[in-house]
Amino acid sequence: MNKNIQAIVSIALIFFCFNASAQNKYTISGSIKDKKTGEALIGATIKVADKPLLGAASNEYGFYSLTLPAGNYKLLVNYVSYKEQELSVTLDKKTTLDISLESEETQLNEVTVRSKANNITSAQMGMDKLDIKEINMIPVLFGEKDVLKTIQLLPGVESVGDGSSGFYVRGGAADQNMILLDEAVVYNPSHLLGFFSTFNSDAIKDVTLYKGTAPAQYGGRLSSVLDVKMNDGNYQDYHVSGGIGLISSKLNIEGPIVKDEGSFLISARRTYADVFLKLSKDTTINKSRLYFYDLNTKLNYKLSKKDRLYLSGYFGQDDLGLANLFGLSWGNATGTLRWNHIVSDKLFSNTSLILSDYSYNINVNNAGISATIHSEIRDWNLKEELELFANPNNSIRFGVASIYHTITPGNITGSGIINSTQPDKHTWENAVYVSNSWKASSKLNIDYGIRLSTFSIMGGSNFYDLNTDGSIKDTLHYGSGQVVKTYVIPEPRISGSYMLNEVSSLKAGYARNTQYLHLISNSTTSNPTDKWISSNNIIKPGIADQLSLGYFRSLKDDRFEFSAETYYKYMQNQIDYRDGANVLDNNAIEPKLLFGMGRAYGLEFLLKKKTGKITGWVSYTLARSELQIPGINNNIWYPARQDRTHDLSVVGIYQLNKKWTVSADFVFYTGNAVSFPSGKYEINGYPVFYYTERNGYRMPAYNRLDLSATKQLRHRKRFSSELTFSLYNAYGHQNPFVITFKDDPNDPNKTQAVQTSLFRWVPSISYNFKF
Amino acid sequence: MKMVKTFYIVCILFSTVFFSCQKVVNINLNASSPRYVVEGNVTNLPGPYLVKITKSVNFDQDNIFPTVSGALVLLTDNTAGLADTLKETSPGNYQTVSLNGIPGHKYQLYINANNNVFTASCTMPALVTLDSLYTQKSSVRGNRSQLIPVYTDPIAHGNYYHFKEFKNDSETSSESIRNDNLINGQVIKEPVGGGIASGDRIVLILECIDSAMYQYYYTLGQTKNQNSATPANPLSNIKGGALGYFSAHTSSSKSVVVP
Repeated sequence: MNKNIQAIVSIALIFFCFNASAQNKYTISGSIKDKKTGEALIGATIKVADKPLLGAASNEYGFYSLTLPAGNYKLLVNYVSYKEQELSVTLDKKTTLDISLESEETQLNEVTVRSKANNITSAQMGMDKLDIKEINMIPVLFGEKDVLKTIQLLPGVESVGDGSSGFYVRGGAADQNMILLDEAVVYNPSHLLGFFSTFNSDAIKDVTLYKGTAPAQYGGRLSSVLDVKMNDGNYQDYHVSGGIGLISSKLNIEGPIVKDEGSFLISARRTYADVFLKLSKDTTINKSRLYFYDLNTKLNYKLSKKDRLYLSGYFGQDDLGLANLFGLSWGNATGTLRWNHIVSDKLFSNTSLILSDYSYNINVNNAGISATIHSEIRDWNLKEELELFANPNNSIRFGVASIYHTITPGNITGSGIINSTQPDKHTWENAVYVSNSWKASSKLNIDYGIRLSTFSIMGGSNFYDLNTDGSIKDTLHYGSGQVVKTYVIPEPRISGSYMLNEVSSLKAGYARNTQYLHLISNSTTSNPTDKWISSNNIIKPGIADQLSLGYFRSLKDDRFEFSAETYYKYMQNQIDYRDGANVLDNNAIEPKLLFGMGRAYGLEFLLKKKTGKITGWVSYTLARSELQIPGINNNIWYPARQDRTHDLSVVGIYQLNKKWTVSADFVFYTGNAVSFPSGKYEINGYPVFYYTERNGYRMPAYNRLDLSATKQLRHRKRFSSELTFSLYNAYGHQNPFVITFKDDPNDPNKTQAVQTSLFRWVPSISYNFKF
Repeated sequence: MKMVKTFYIVCILFSTVFFSCQKVVNINLNASSPRYVVEGNVTNLPGPYLVKITKSVNFDQDNIFPTVSGALVLLTDNTAGLADTLKETSPGNYQTVSLNGIPGHKYQLYINANNNVFTASCTMPALVTLDSLYTQKSSVRGNRSQLIPVYTDPIAHGNYYHFKEFKNDSETSSESIRNDNLINGQVIKEPVGGGIASGDRIVLILECIDSAMYQYYYTLGQTKNQNSATPANPLSNIKGGALGYFSAHTSSSKSVVVP
């Protein structure tokens, strides 16, 4: 193993290190942590005081490495909402130095001015990081703090619908977002039909969203990567925190396994919406089940000075049912085992073994029929990544990943029916990648890399040969060990920033992404029974090429940050459904699909106030997303459902005094593109609507204001608690959830359009504590 | 499937529990050029059989659908080699003169309306009779009744069914379809239909339809329910650009009075 690593390193050095100088150089390395909890800090910067170009940032595990010529240095260590730390170092040998930063929490009222934002200088584009403290302050539906609902307030990110945790990024479909929890894919990130996300914000450390511009270590979806990292747990003391809300309660326990060596975290959440259903007099409602729960756990332990092991897991389940007549349950399970190994002071290795699983079960027990439908997708993923901090100007990553996907399409078994089972579908996805972050000069930073992904479809299930009209010409059989087809797709990625002056920069980038798994869904809401299918001989992998350009500027001593980004994305092998396709049944899916291309382009603005008594942001997106699919809409380009011209979000958080914090958010966006009828005709004595085009109409525009106030009840070292009040849709605007057409009850000769709205003036109260 | 429908009921329950509300809105829908609409039926019962030709109207117009007169309408029994030219008995309604529907025979429809030609063909499946019809208390809502038709699905795969329900002599909008994918060759006692109340006189017709008509009714249901993200017109078996259908089906009925 070590020999291989050395070989790779030498090759990498030849490729990436352009000027090896003869001067004596030494490396200072170590980890950057939170002083109080011992949590590793991700993306903290360490820089030479008078030469800010000489610097490094900590990686996902808090590890940093900086190589400098021998000498005396004053080093500045910085992390968002942490106090800057100054260190004097004499570098005359290899040095290991662990750094602890102190959180600014205690002095929230003061205006602090931090060092120049990393966002301006870094080459990375189309990226947003969320501050967990901020997420906790933003008002949300039912007072359930929610990562996925908060990212919808960022430019380029749209909400799927009122109250939904589903989102679209830069005109891509909902299944084009890769959602990772500690590296594991979460296939269905929603609870209760999309109204809540699977992420319990108490267990989360870091949330980063890449809008189709992710570095080469990420791959597999066209539109975005949302990388969510769980807390490690407190290394110093035991802590219990929790919250009691109107529809859910949660509890979080963390502490050291061995002080400073290892820690654990257990976080659980359970809703009790069905308690309210029990109050109903209607027997159908009060016999219903409707709840979900989440469990997050994480353990980590330092094996030696150079080795650390992490084990994290997530388990969540929804249960929805009507007495014993009908039941629908679904849930995700993920597990990640990671081994961090510091190979040398410049080379960091991480090996991960990851399990992702999503399944649903439907039970029906009626009229002598008792049936169960079971469907599942399961991935085993083995990853190895090496990070080489070659010198202050180059930091290189290489990695390999191998994922084995198993999809159980939907087996129907039971009594009173004929069992219908289909063989599991197996596919094997592999990727190798290499990338470099290169500080080319004091003004120019370039990140470049390439990912080579392959996807092999294994035999054992049915494959089809189709006629041009989509009907099945022939069924093809391959043995279970046989490779039916392999796709190989190179995905180059490059982005760069050029500093115009001290406070502003221009950035440009290009990235290609591929997607081998697709979600089949044909309902207006997020549905747990939507099916994941893999690419095969007929369904080709989706490919997106995105070009982007941006202007970034820091204002008023970095109190404000402004960015404008524009992008153009071209997408190949996009999927839509033939008219009238029944995608829910158990028959072959291929004849029901149509393939074509898509294009999306837009302009995004973000103005953010980062410090002071008032913080928050204004984000605005002007965008378009269209599809052209032979066989739909007379082969003319038509707007995708997520095509949204204007999307505005305003978020404000105001710290009134030591006790009270108030916050508000306002959202306005153009309605989704929808298909409405253009006429009607009569069949068997009843009017039927006549459709002429796909997505030719718009839902009415959406707007909403939410308010929230948090009162600090007690703030002691041993115990603190707070009370949060919030009001969702404060002025009660009737936002359209769906529009349906029906006979006018007053005049059966007329037809009318009826709009259904879901949430108006939804108040909530929750109590949170920590000790 | 039934269970999917139940799932939607649960979804709707969920959303109604949480503050949903409805209002009539004014939406400016585009005008559309009128399309021809054909409804043609041949059954195993004695004729005459009816073909109706109408046109579509704009959304904001009244539900009065223009009839199409003076069309040439031909119905052919391809299996027996018999042809019938239909007579227009009232505007837009055309009736057969001599033809008799027989299960297993293939029927062809030809229409020439103002030089627009529409054709369709359909084979009448074998007859499956409705053995009995009774009512029982609903298993979901115990205070309501539900309708149970009993019939035996034939051994051979590929049977498709369409139910029509008449309540107190008028046809209800609750039609439903079934296939034998999961229940092939069994005695079927699954409930059908919508709300029925004590004293209602119900006539239920079981029709055996072919797979193209099953597809038509399935997609017609999608269009009517308006729960698809990509609503579209039903998949018609008529060639030439008309909306509607041509169905050769068997028909077997039973009646019951809800106790």
